[in-house]
Amino acid sequence: MEDEALLLARLRAGEEAAFRTLVRARHGRLLRLAGVFLRSRASAEEVVQDTWIAVITGLDGYAGQAPLAAWINGIVVNKARSRAVRDGRQVSFSDLARPEMAGEALDPERFLPDGHWAERVDPWNALTPEREAGDREVLDGVAQALDALPPAQRAVVVMRDVEGLEPAAICAALEISEANLRVLLHRARVRLRDAAARLVGATN
Amino acid sequence: MMTCQAVAATASAYLDRELPLSRRAAVAWHLRLCPNCRAYLATLKRTIGLARKAPVAAPAPEVEDNLAALFRARQNSAD
Repeated sequence: MEDEALLLARLRAGEEAAFRTLVRARHGRLLRLAGVFLRSRASAEEVVQDTWIAVITGLDGYAGQAPLAAWINGIVVNKARSRAVRDGRQVSFSDLARPEMAGEALDPERFLPDGHWAERVDPWNALTPEREAGDREVLDGVAQALDALPPAQRAVVVMRDVEGLEPAAICAALEISEANLRVLLHRARVRLRDAAARLVGATN
Repeated sequence: MMTCQAVAATASAYLDRELPLSRRAAVAWHLRLCPNCRAYLATLKRTIGLARKAPVAAPAPEVEDNLAALFRARQNSAD
């Protein structure tokens, strides 16, 4: 996105084009974030619409202490959580996490009995920086793999790695411990890596 | 010396700089000697970058227009 201070100044000046830029950049990501807490697509859409209204009315009061995206992400997380409670559809992430943390993150069969890798690990030389930036098949495939993660793993990887929320804020929102956050995050990354390896055409 | 399996199990904590110093040094030492674990760590890190870039659908034009109308209404009421 363009320079943040400039964008904010344009938004405060009431420039609709600046607001449309922001909506195009963030709307889908806000839906994904709301979807962590809300299974119903319609509820997530309403929550995101309410979030935009809060952004519009809050722009003058927003002091720029957090980056704009982080401020908006905080709003959508709060609203999605309260909406889930109001709908009686609040998810217990610690219950969801338990089966997702069972067993080993990496299949023990990928290692020899002495702990060495059983097969060479492909360094993904086939994924050039150009391909990483523009290969829709790889990027769309990663997006699908992200959606297909088990719910607690998806929640932590979306909040931490994709949106960059602080670990303490994630633990508070999901009501999980920092230890569980780390375990879930590692497992999510391992799964995504294996999915990405297949998309890249890597052997292992 | 740590095994590859132990390094892989601790890979995220290493990337996130959450390991105690002695453990961190043990992983770093292993990585110097092990191309497979170097490849695993590097590709795990690239995966995080790919996840960050994973595309999401743009808002439907009517959704964007509705939100823009809310933005205009707010501006008009503030004037």
